[in-house]
Amino acid sequence: MSRMIRKIRKWTVEALDLPNDLVFDLPRLTWVGGKQLYIENHRGIVHFSPEALHLRTKEGTLEVYGSGLLIREIMPEEIVVEGKINGINYREAEGSS
Amino acid sequence: MRSSILTKWSGAITVVVRGGDIEGFINEVNAAGIHIWDIKPNNDRKMELCMKVDSFFALRPLLKRTGCRVSVKERFGLPFMLLRLWRRKWFAAGFILFAAVLFSLTRMVWDIEVTGNDKIAKQDILLAAKEEGLYPFQWTFALPSQDKLSAGLSRKLKGISWVGVSRTGTKVHIQIVEATEPEKKLVSPSHLVSKADGVITFIYAEKGQPEVKKHDRVKKGQILVSGYQGGKAVVSKGQIRANVWHEYNIEVPLIRKQNVFTGEEKERGYLYFGRTAIQLTGYGNAGFESSRVTTEFDPLTWRSFKLPIGWMSEKIQETAVLEFKLSEEKAAADGIERAKEDILAKNGADTTILNQKILHEKTDNGKVYMKVLFEVEQSIAEELPIVYDQGE
Repeated sequence: MSRMIRKIRKWTVEALDLPNDLVFDLPRLTWVGGKQLYIENHRGIVHFSPEALHLRTKEGTLEVYGSGLLIREIMPEEIVVEGKINGINYREAEGSS
Repeated sequence: MRSSILTKWSGAITVVVRGGDIEGFINEVNAAGIHIWDIKPNNDRKMELCMKVDSFFALRPLLKRTGCRVSVKERFGLPFMLLRLWRRKWFAAGFILFAAVLFSLTRMVWDIEVTGNDKIAKQDILLAAKEEGLYPFQWTFALPSQDKLSAGLSRKLKGISWVGVSRTGTKVHIQIVEATEPEKKLVSPSHLVSKADGVITFIYAEKGQPEVKKHDRVKKGQILVSGYQGGKAVVSKGQIRANVWHEYNIEVPLIRKQNVFTGEEKERGYLYFGRTAIQLTGYGNAGFESSRVTTEFDPLTWRSFKLPIGWMSEKIQETAVLEFKLSEEKAAADGIERAKEDILAKNGADTTILNQKILHEKTDNGKVYMKVLFEVEQSIAEELPIVYDQGE
């Protein structure tokens, strides 16, 4: 994606007040209590163990911590995680703006 | 989204993935559009996941690329159930066969019951029923309809006014109402003979040859109207009346005893259950020398149905014997009256008593003895069949 297009997009989002997740494919999370977590716009699993789930996103890594984690459902864009979820960490990858 | 009924229908498996790049494998599977769910990691680098059966073989190239291995842990859903069933196919077949046999046995006529036949043999009815298509071990669904059966049976069987066919389960009930045929009257040729000595006062022969005339004296057993008329034997018919004398010996006691109620009575009440009665009221001896007991039941009823529980009352009425003393004239008149009633009863209502003569009368031992002669006009004809000479 060229810088030009990215700038235009950014401008449109700001001008039209559009949600970022739709336009930039940024991850959108829905966390239901400490039990269930919907993650949209993920780009694949990096690491998965009962204690941690690392997901690749467009601009970094999303880390979910907890115990007894399991993926209830996985689809190309969406993932549903269940178990005892303690924390979420979002790490932006170096080099991306 | 995963629908449990759909996955049960198409069959699903739980597989264990181990070795290699498991996360990469899951990503590849996901990218290939293979539907997986319930991914559960173990601590020792293994993962369990569920998937549809039909996509299992599509995993192969992905496994090769990522260096993973899978083993099937659990199978569920209809295809596997069918597979298990197939292994027990003879058992299942036996079960189905059993059910089928049982069902077919309930669909058979097992028993034919015939009621209401008195003169017609049951065998004949069953034979007629068989011709109509109703016989034991016949399928009930192959039976003709019941009104057709009834109509066919009543056509086949003689001397029947109604046939009803009904089926309850495996039992067929043929109900028959036999026609009542008029009794055949005896029409063998006969004479009319006299049944008493007398003098003919009226003779009318409707059929047959009159043998006597009015004012003829006839003896008992004499032929009055012959059954041979014009050389042919016929059934004689006619009316013959005659004056007949009857002699009666009458005996009348002068003292007459009669049972009467004195008016004293006592009531007892009982509660009864079936055949057991418990007395509730009217205890104590009535103290009657002679009495008559009238028992009345008053059962509890529900609609028209009588329950075996109710109230029974007993009425004890004292009786006493009353003695009347009759005069001799009254006794004699009573005796004659009774004799006249006897004559009317024996000779028919059209009998007329013409005359009565007391031949002898005496009173002895508290009784009146009389001999009375009645002159009576009555019918004296009696049928006598003509017996042909049968030879030896």
